[in-house]
Amino acid sequence: MSETSIDQVEQASGPMPPPAAQAPSKVLLNPERWKAMIIILTMINTILVATVAGLQTDANIRANDANRDSQYYAVLTSGELHRIGLQNNYDMNTFARILDNTQRSLVMGFTSLELLQKGDEAGAALSTLQERVARAQADAATTFSIFYQDPRYAPKSSDAQPELQKYLDDSNANALALLASQNAASDAYKIWSGKSDSYVAVLTILAIAFFLFGIAQSVNPRLRLLFAGFGIAVIVLGVGWTLAILIS
Amino acid sequence: MDEKAKSNRLELLIALLIAIVSLTTALAAWRTNAVGSKAGDATRLGLIEAVKKQATTNEDWRRLYEQAGYAQSYAVTLAGVEAMEASGDPVAAAQAVNLRDFLLKGIIQLAEPLATDPKYQLDNGTYDLEQYFYDIQAEAPDLLALDPQASFKLAEKYSSEQRWLMLGTVLLALSLFWLALSEVGGSRLRLGTLGIGVVIYLFGLAWFFFVEVLFIFLRGGAL
Repeated sequence: MSETSIDQVEQASGPMPPPAAQAPSKVLLNPERWKAMIIILTMINTILVATVAGLQTDANIRANDANRDSQYYAVLTSGELHRIGLQNNYDMNTFARILDNTQRSLVMGFTSLELLQKGDEAGAALSTLQERVARAQADAATTFSIFYQDPRYAPKSSDAQPELQKYLDDSNANALALLASQNAASDAYKIWSGKSDSYVAVLTILAIAFFLFGIAQSVNPRLRLLFAGFGIAVIVLGVGWTLAILIS
Repeated sequence: MDEKAKSNRLELLIALLIAIVSLTTALAAWRTNAVGSKAGDATRLGLIEAVKKQATTNEDWRRLYEQAGYAQSYAVTLAGVEAMEASGDPVAAAQAVNLRDFLLKGIIQLAEPLATDPKYQLDNGTYDLEQYFYDIQAEAPDLLALDPQASFKLAEKYSSEQRWLMLGTVLLALSLFWLALSEVGGSRLRLGTLGIGVVIYLFGLAWFFFVEVLFIFLRGGAL
């Protein structure tokens, strides 16, 4: 086919010059030229791929661990919130019972005094009895109340109120700590998962470099250099991206 | 002619080596993924255990505070009844008798065993909620024995092994690359690249087995 073409050219423009008159570069260009360099580049790319594959595996494992931790902390946080709800309900009901009976006792005592002033002794005695019963019940409930038994929350004086805000702060502290751990694990998952995805993208880019070097091996030396250049550019991009992922 | 025959024999040998290394690399990749999968299984088991354990604990807390509420109601009502008895009023005393017979007996049934078992009674008239909670938990020893952290630790061991096995697999893949290079490369470089490929392969293989044996030992014999 090529001989036919040369013949056609010779017929059109006269006899071809002897081979010695041709450009020396075309004649002396070794078809195997740069192949060793391409092999070395392929080798470098292989090592890079292996390294990035290792980094991707590590990032993926870390993402999985963080994902697991975030789920585990979510379970613990949910359980702790459930427990706090039950405990707060119990403590507040106890406190409400104390207030109710204390108020009832005061009202009954006041009523008793009013009835006594009006000369209704039977009514006053009944009110006094109700006052004592309410007082006894308020005292009994007080022994169950964290707001009166725990020195952290107990009123500092007889006319002071229990430290309700401190109680709420303390009871929520553990749940908030678990929530902070859960959020931290979620953030870590997001970071490592992002890194893992980025490493996959880098691996894809390095696979393109393999393709370019493969093409480079099969073409003429001039194009070989061109493809090698493209491959090197792709490798530089991959390495740069890997470094950016590593330091991010 | 002899040189060519020698070269052909070497090419055949390299081809056989490539086949062996390819198979080994495939097995190593399978084992690496299998170990990763085991890590995932252990994590999944740990999370299931965590959910089961937390659900059980939630129910235990609910039972505890339900009982605590009933027991407190009993103690408070009893205090009221005792005040009525102590009042010296015959009407209140009669009411107290009936309250003991009909109301308190009903409340104490709800408050059992917290309000009835002496081991839960405290000196100040309240109840030992902590002890009762432990006793409730002890009712389901199989659920109490669930240990998500143990599963998570096992998962971490598998993940750690996966990291190192991955390195071994990469070494095997590298050796495959060098062997392929020696097969397609010129005869000048063939022996050199073949040697490098074989050395990397043997090192990768040794690495793989070392990591396997080490982690099987660390897991107490579990594959």
